Amino acid sequence: MDIAWFVVLSAFIFCIGAAGVLTRRSPLVVLLCLELMLNAGNLALIAFARMVGNQEGHVFALIVMVIAACEVVIGLGIIVAMYRRRLPIDVDSMSELRG
Amino acid sequence: MTATSWGWLVLAFPLAGTVVCALGWRALPGRAAGWIGSLAIGASFAAAIAMLLGLLDRSAEERSIVDSAYTYASTAGFEVDMAILVDPLSVLMCLVVTGVSFLIHVYSVAYMESDRGYPRFFAYLNFFVFSMLLLVLAANFVVLIVGWAFVGAASYLLISYWYRRATATAAGIKAFVINVIGDVGLVIGAFLLFDATGALDYATVFGQAPGVFEVNDGQLVAACVLLLVGAFAKSAQIPLHTWLPDAMEGPTPVSALIHAATMVTAGVYLIARTHPLFELAPAAADVGAIVGALTLLVAATIALVVTDLKRVIAYSTMSQIGYMVLGVSVFAYSAGMFHLMTHAFFKALLFMAAGSVIAAMAGEQSLDRMGGLRKAMPFTYAAFLAGALALAAFPFTAGFFSKDEILAYTLDRGGLYVVLAGVGYLAALMTAFYAFRMVFRVFHGAPCPEAIELEGGLLHHADPVNPATGEPEDTGAGFPGPEHHVAERSWPMKAAMAPLALLALGAGVLQVPGITHMLETFLEPTFAGSAFVHEGPSDSAEYAGMLAGGVISLAGIGLAALLYLRRRGATLRLRDRLAGVHDFLARKWYFDELYDLTVVRPFAAAGRFGRTTVESAFVQGTLVGGTVGLVRAGGALARSVQTGALRAYAALLLVGATAVVLYFLIGAS
Amino acid sequence: MVDVSLSVLIFLPLAAALVGALAPPRVGRWVAVGGSVVALAYVLVILEDFSRASAALQFTTDVAWISELGVRYSLGVDGLNLFLILLTALLWVPAMVWAALRVADRPRLFMFHMALAETAVLGAFCAQDLALFVVFFDLMLVPFYFLIGGWGQGERVAATTKFVIYTLVGSLLMLAGAVALGVLTASETGNELTFSIRELAQSPLPAGTQNWIFLLFAAAFLVKAPAFPLHGWVVDTYRATPIPVLVVLSAVLSKVGVYAFLRIVLPVMPDASATFQEPMLVVAVISILYGSVLAFSQSEPRLVVAYSSIAQLGFILLGIFALDELGAQGALMQMVNHGLVVAALFFIIAALTARAAGSPSLEQMGGMALRAPVLAALFLIVALATLAMPGSPNFVGEILILFGALEEQLVYALVASVGVALAAVYGIRLLQRSMHNRVGPSVEGGDLGRLDLGVIAPLAAVIVALGVYPQLILDRTEAATTAKVTAAAESAGQGGRDRPAIEAPGGPIFEEPGADPRTELDGGESHAEVSEGR
Repeated sequence: MDIAWFVVLSAFIFCIGAAGVLTRRSPLVVLLCLELMLNAGNLALIAFARMVGNQEGHVFALIVMVIAACEVVIGLGIIVAMYRRRLPIDVDSMSELRG
Repeated sequence: MTATSWGWLVLAFPLAGTVVCALGWRALPGRAAGWIGSLAIGASFAAAIAMLLGLLDRSAEERSIVDSAYTYASTAGFEVDMAILVDPLSVLMCLVVTGVSFLIHVYSVAYMESDRGYPRFFAYLNFFVFSMLLLVLAANFVVLIVGWAFVGAASYLLISYWYRRATATAAGIKAFVINVIGDVGLVIGAFLLFDATGALDYATVFGQAPGVFEVNDGQLVAACVLLLVGAFAKSAQIPLHTWLPDAMEGPTPVSALIHAATMVTAGVYLIARTHPLFELAPAAADVGAIVGALTLLVAATIALVVTDLKRVIAYSTMSQIGYMVLGVSVFAYSAGMFHLMTHAFFKALLFMAAGSVIAAMAGEQSLDRMGGLRKAMPFTYAAFLAGALALAAFPFTAGFFSKDEILAYTLDRGGLYVVLAGVGYLAALMTAFYAFRMVFRVFHGAPCPEAIELEGGLLHHADPVNPATGEPEDTGAGFPGPEHHVAERSWPMKAAMAPLALLALGAGVLQVPGITHMLETFLEPTFAGSAFVHEGPSDSAEYAGMLAGGVISLAGIGLAALLYLRRRGATLRLRDRLAGVHDFLARKWYFDELYDLTVVRPFAAAGRFGRTTVESAFVQGTLVGGTVGLVRAGGALARSVQTGALRAYAALLLVGATAVVLYFLIGAS
Repeated sequence: MVDVSLSVLIFLPLAAALVGALAPPRVGRWVAVGGSVVALAYVLVILEDFSRASAALQFTTDVAWISELGVRYSLGVDGLNLFLILLTALLWVPAMVWAALRVADRPRLFMFHMALAETAVLGAFCAQDLALFVVFFDLMLVPFYFLIGGWGQGERVAATTKFVIYTLVGSLLMLAGAVALGVLTASETGNELTFSIRELAQSPLPAGTQNWIFLLFAAAFLVKAPAFPLHGWVVDTYRATPIPVLVVLSAVLSKVGVYAFLRIVLPVMPDASATFQEPMLVVAVISILYGSVLAFSQSEPRLVVAYSSIAQLGFILLGIFALDELGAQGALMQMVNHGLVVAALFFIIAALTARAAGSPSLEQMGGMALRAPVLAALFLIVALATLAMPGSPNFVGEILILFGALEEQLVYALVASVGVALAAVYGIRLLQRSMHNRVGPSVEGGDLGRLDLGVIAPLAAVIVALGVYPQLILDRTEAATTAKVTAAAESAGQGGRDRPAIEAPGGPIFEEPGADPRTELDGGESHAEVSEGR
């Protein structure tokens, strides 16, 4: 199969993820969309690895997965903490970092 | 031991006395500090005599010995040793300083007895003597300046010795600042000499001077005038004299020692010491002569009207130093030094007697309140009379010979100097008058209540008040002590005054024109290089001058007797008739007001201007405010980007990443 | 000579404070004090071993640090920084002891910051690489930021902000200057990039380039000094800073700036130093007069000392920019002396404030001499040294500065000498207002306690000892210090010691020296001659 299909699919998934991050207000969905973007990256990495024919891309993909897992743990932890403190579950209201 | 070893000892004893009195301030009982201080100075005097004997053992050509203890500062061509110079001039000064100081220390042992700062007083006094000896023994300009400033500091400490008095501390700061102005003059003067000769020690500077300077060379004249600034500040010559009358805020023994006998004559010593320079710069010497003559006249006129006993003597000191400055500036060195010596004797004596009088008056210093103390205080009267006779240059007293020698030399120079000598004779008349004005107003006339009390055997004691303002002293501190001590009842005071009285009357035998030349011969090695050392008036001219001086002195005394003994009240009528003149003199020729207007106020105004305007408007407003404003504006700009909205950040990130990718894509194609 | 000696010296206080920070509070602070005491002992050993005749660096350490950028970890001691290092080590001990006994709030953290500051200052004095110097110079700011902001009094936040912004702006300008200096020199000579001060001095840039780099450096160092008109941070900082911090801030930190003029600016940028000689002298003279006049119109002792420091640093600048050996020696001497007297003065001011019911104002003081005679005596010694009374070490510094300046720039020196008389006014006024006159309204308490006596008396003793034997300093510093001004003096056309003989009445001294050669300099031609001159 032509590499282009994989890359185009990866780009589509990435764009869906990015659009979700930018438009959705629920942190849960934002996290989901982030995962989408990471997995789009993974897809591209593995496709290119196959094309080049060595294992380096696979290694990177594994690392990205680990990071994605960590991110989900932390992200979900934050969301649970917000829920417990009865804060609004809304990214736009989380602006404590405003200068 | 050599003469220089004795010289170091002369310095060491007072320093040791200072340390012992200062560190033992809590432990020393009763009069112990006083006796330790006196002993130190006595030992120093003995060492000075040993130094004299050591010097006399040498031949006349070898009587100038320099000894260096260690290198004080040496860098990049600036070489200064901690060195002393022992020669006839410094030995003479050491003898006068230690001798008179010793007597004044002994006097103070009793006089200051009830003061609570007793050990502190003697620590200061010993420190002063050490500084003065350092000044006269210095072998280079830097050590001279060190001693010069030390005596200024000691003088400051002793003027504001009763530091709870606002007038005393104000007088102290005035004296200190004027002395520092003199120090600056000395430093810059020393630089100008260093610049030309590359050295700072006397021997090299004086040796090089004729080679590098022409007569009246601009730089040399400037250097000498700057040295004179130092001399004028220390010796209270116009225009730097205003501190001396105020310095009378100090205890009376201090006035006797520092502000009459020793420190204030340092300027005269300086001119005598640097005579090779002044002889090369006659223009500067003329400045000295004219200022000396002016000072002696101005001070004498003020002394005519002042009513504070100590201040009358202070103005007479100024006036007498004017004579000395005139003397050494017309190159009559031995005459000037002779007057310095006799003046030390009779002026210390006058102050001691005045101290006894003030004690009897329970701190009162005004002539207006005194009178008729003669019977109550016979010893004090005799001592004061001896001092006054010498001050008035009564024939055959010490002051008679020394003053007339100066004026005879001045007359002998001819030309402009005749005018200066005339001024000197005019002031001599005033001197005789005001000297006996004091005698008659204090000791003669109707006895004042205190005198009657004292005759009845009761010494008047009153709550201490500030004699200048009349406000009560801060008795919680106990300065000055509530008890007073008069010569009649304290043997140390008598023991100190008696030798001085004899010297004031008899020291003239050292230099009787045409008969004895002891001082001149002794000092000759120091001034051997001088072109003027063998020039002088003929004996007959001196005798003529002495005759004139004697007549003037007697006339002055007679006039005082006429006004104050015979026609009492005549002076009051005179004062009313000449109210303008009297006011002018009583205001001391308006010098204080002039300085207040031209120096003190402008600087105070500059300070206010700096604090309120420059600091707040310019430094804090423009510079600090400007910087802060800039930083704030920058901060606001940077802050506006930090919205805190997560999705905005994500969008920015995305746009940025896309831009970077596009940039490389376009660049690659 | 041991290889590691200076690194050990520099990082010893910090290491001790780190250990102390981990130890229990009662022990911890004394561990930090111990670090500074050992550092002092270390410096005394260096002083003993120091070879006085040589102008070269001794006890050097020189290893590559960031080799890509040519930055080296290069340390060394010569006559120029020997006594400044000694001053630093000496003054930190009483400051640390005072802090250990008097700072109750988070003492271990306080001591840690103090020790970090000591490390930074020692590093700045020892650094022989421009980049390393910049690192230590900026590191100094960190502990002082926390010390003033965390333990200060009154408007401490505003004061800290002002202090940090002022010095940081200066530091950044200097950083830019340092980078430019290294890079431009490398491209000029074609050699590898280096920041070694010695190597930079061997190949000076063209005069025009030197000029703007000079301005960047001067801005940083004048702020640090402080000199008029860049002293805006001084008042608030001096008011807010706690005493032990103020002691080292005023006594040591202010010397880093003027020290850097002698260490870096004059040797590396001799032509620019000559070009800007007169503007710098104007700054110096205005600082002297302005500082003195304001010092005697202040009502708080801290501010009197603050403004007097501006005046004193003006004198130091005058000595440096006289571009004369005597002036440079005097300036160095005066750096040490000013450090000593200012440290003693601030401890005394702490004692005064404690006796005036905590009031910082002179109005509340007065008449303390009777209750506290020992304090009065020590204050007298220190005050007289402050106003540079002959016989004090300050006088030796001042007379050398004045001689050097009179020799090269007569007019400026004459104006500056007015400052000597003004110093007498503010010095004596401070002494009198607190010690003498009637007792102030809220004066209480007796003589000095053991701690105050223990910190002030040794400083007074050092001042007296140096007054008796100033040659101790001059002897060891002469070779290195005088070498720093030669290039700049040559560039300014000043002959130094071999002055022309006086020929005509009036003498060359009354002409303005160095005025003519500087016109030649504007063409930028003198650069080549200077390089060959070495």
